[in-house]
Amino acid sequence: MNKQDKYDEDLLSRYINPEGIEKAPEGFTVNVMSLIKAEEETAKAATKHRKRSLVPVISGAVTVLLMASVFLISGDKNELIPLPALELLKNIKVSLPEIDLTSLFRSNVPLTLFYGLLGILVLSLLDRALYGVFHKEN
Amino acid sequence: MGTMEYKGDIANIEQVLSGNQGAFAYIVDHHKDKAFNLAFRICGNREDAEEIAQDSFLKAFRSLNGFKMKSSFSTWFYRIVYNTSISYVRARKKGILSLEDFPADATDFIGDNSSEDNAEKEYRNALIGFALQKINEEERGLITLYYYEEMNTDEISDITGISKSNIKVRLFRARQKMIDIVEKVEKRKLVYHE
Repeated sequence: MNKQDKYDEDLLSRYINPEGIEKAPEGFTVNVMSLIKAEEETAKAATKHRKRSLVPVISGAVTVLLMASVFLISGDKNELIPLPALELLKNIKVSLPEIDLTSLFRSNVPLTLFYGLLGILVLSLLDRALYGVFHKEN
Repeated sequence: MGTMEYKGDIANIEQVLSGNQGAFAYIVDHHKDKAFNLAFRICGNREDAEEIAQDSFLKAFRSLNGFKMKSSFSTWFYRIVYNTSISYVRARKKGILSLEDFPADATDFIGDNSSEDNAEKEYRNALIGFALQKINEEERGLITLYYYEEMNTDEISDITGISKSNIKVRLFRARQKMIDIVEKVEKRKLVYHE
């Protein structure tokens, strides 16, 4: 440090009083903690909202799958299924039970209607189960 | 909030990370004045300084998980305050102050209950604050850390990310600029009294 720099430093030190720092205003800590709390609450609410919005998404996806299965999976065992995924499903021997509703109700109710009702029942149970999972924290 | 019993940064950080958010209040209470002072010296007014200091504590709280316990919390935290202040000032660049903006006489600082001695202190304080606002925001930060926070160049380098040799050069220039401003104002004061 040369003479001029030393002089400047000394002169500035005379003006600057480290004790005289500007203090934070009254209630500063409380304000910061309130902001943190508010931010945490907003984040929690957003997470809850995200979780809740999963319910219709999952229900919708299952509905679409069920509806697609009605059109894609044929009851006719001899019919060729061109899709490889459906071929796989066929190979793992998962098939819906064949119930003769006509003999049960003595009427000509189409089988798809029965599966539709069964689908609605499954969806209702799924919705109930998901509601229970995602609303526990409330 | 009154003065709180201080356990140490690391102990409080561990508390916060384990889910006790209230422990962060101790950290805020312990560092608020230095954080506020650094922000104030860089931005030049209390309202903005409060906003910057609050914002810095929020940023620190959000990134507490990323804090490596091996280093000093204060260095890590002041880096946040310094960077937040610099960004804030750059985003709200104000016009350059003229020497005429500063009152020419210490008597202008005499309040209802203050003595002439106090007025002289107030005058010097205000003059240095004025000179600080005439240099750039980075230099303001360096001057504050060096003179007000009484940190050495190693610590300042950790906070600002500027090399030690560069800090010395910038401090030298900042000092020269401030001395120049102080001397000009003092000369004006003499002319005013003649």
